Amino acid sequence: MTIPDRDPQLLKGVLPMLVLRLLADEESYGWELVSRLQRAGLTDIATGTVYPVLGRLEREGQVSSRLVASTSGPARKYYRPTPVGEAELSRAAEGWAALTRTVAEVLGAPPADGNTSATTDTTASEGAIR
Amino acid sequence: MTTIDPTPSQPGPAAPRAARPGLAARLRLDYYLIRLDWHLQDYPGKAARAIKREIKADLLTVAGEVGMTAALTALGSPAVLAHGYLAELGRPRPRLTAGAIAAGLAIGAVWYMQVAYAIGALDTLEAVGGGTATLTVLGASMTYTSTSTTISVEGAFTWQWLALWLGVGLVAFVIASRLWRLRSPAQRPVA
Repeated sequence: MTIPDRDPQLLKGVLPMLVLRLLADEESYGWELVSRLQRAGLTDIATGTVYPVLGRLEREGQVSSRLVASTSGPARKYYRPTPVGEAELSRAAEGWAALTRTVAEVLGAPPADGNTSATTDTTASEGAIR
Repeated sequence: MTTIDPTPSQPGPAAPRAARPGLAARLRLDYYLIRLDWHLQDYPGKAARAIKREIKADLLTVAGEVGMTAALTALGSPAVLAHGYLAELGRPRPRLTAGAIAAGLAIGAVWYMQVAYAIGALDTLEAVGGGTATLTVLGASMTYTSTSTTISVEGAFTWQWLALWLGVGLVAFVIASRLWRLRSPAQRPVA
């Protein structure tokens, strides 16, 4: 599934949560994680945006890493969530669910009638002048 | 925290078996990492080295499957990648390497002006028929000699000159390195 014309800031805000979620399913190294995000539908995600997020999550203790020997070169760094990361994932997922409910309600609400409001405001102003 | 597992990555994560990149691909990778290193100069040294090791390992893996050019293109500009890492730090860092280079250039510029001044003084002496002149600048008496047999500049190095050199270098270092960033409060990144 590809969402056209997505605001990059929207993705930036939820990327750490998505990273934690995918790593909770299966540990991955950076590039593999990008591929999994792209296969999940985030086809426009830039590889270079995921590595810094992984770095921050590790610095904050939300993911741990292990170096795994590779036949193609230096050892690759695999990440998985720590208990702190899992707790953060739960918190973020709940926050996201609440936000999407609110956004859906706002977007689903019937648009306000601008002319009616203007008339009301004018009347109120006239009343005030009198 | 990073642990080390010396065994190949199985049965857990998929471990792609890929051909080793050739010399040209490795040179392109090294060039990319050098540029990344330059742009990561603000990043804490140990962490920056870990980043480069990780990027190198992943690129070598992926390049065997899709080619180094495609892998580097997908990763994007090293400047943008480094900016992403710096943004995730949540606070600006001083650019110490840039500061050191600027200090060196500034001190070199002062030295160049001193040499140019000496050459000008010797040329002037030669134009008036040769001879010896002693000039005192910043406490240092410099003796310029230009005759048909001798061209020389003699003088002493004084603390005033040392202070000038160090001062110029220090000012250049502070400005170019944005040293005041050391006092910037930590901020949590937006993302």
